[in-house]
Amino acid sequence: MSAFGSYLRTVMDLGRDEARQDGSDTIEAQHLLLAITAGPDEVPRQVLAAAGLDHQAVMDALDREFEHSLAAAGASAAAFNLPRSSTSLKRPHLGASARLAVERGFTGQDPQPADLLLGILRAQAGTVPRALDLAGVDQDDLAQRTLLARAAAQDR
Amino acid sequence: MPGVEVPVSPDPADALASVVALRRLADRIEDAAVEQAMRAGWNWPQVAEALGVTRQAVHKKHAKRLIAAGVALRRR
Repeated sequence: MSAFGSYLRTVMDLGRDEARQDGSDTIEAQHLLLAITAGPDEVPRQVLAAAGLDHQAVMDALDREFEHSLAAAGASAAAFNLPRSSTSLKRPHLGASARLAVERGFTGQDPQPADLLLGILRAQAGTVPRALDLAGVDQDDLAQRTLLARAAAQDR
Repeated sequence: MPGVEVPVSPDPADALASVVALRRLADRIEDAAVEQAMRAGWNWPQVAEALGVTRQAVHKKHAKRLIAAGVALRRR
């Protein structure tokens, strides 16, 4: 398997674990973003870290987006004081937002690990753009920095 | 009787995101509530009726997880 193929497989496996821990039957773009922060390639990881987005910071941003979106309908997760349920045994499959991220990211002949992050950052709506916005992260600027880091890595 | 006011945001992005978040919250509550009920001795037909779904549907969705978690399940 190519280095890129191996990267993609590892990130998908990490994303599946993130989805399972999230209680989701599908791997979504936010699970892939979390996976990238813990993934084996330093190029996308460092771009995110430079914007203050390590694994915990992305988790915090996603939690904030969840509460913010619930509040828009007058609800709150904290209002339901139920015990945490046991984790699902189902194997999460690729969801719509993750499929879009893959389609948007891998458009050229020479795929790089940074392309998956680029695909995620090309979303104009949905959980990730909202979470980044609430965290004060400029999504377009982050995408630009990812492109620059990708080009620099290719030159090495 | 006056209607219950639900404060849905006028911003479509917020309103759409609230749909996603409410579905996620509902799924979480369902998982926790079904587990809590089965641990408290409810059976599948009772849980199904309370959720307004068939017994087969609730069994298919939750049985494996609860068995793995060591919950003693009552059939009826």
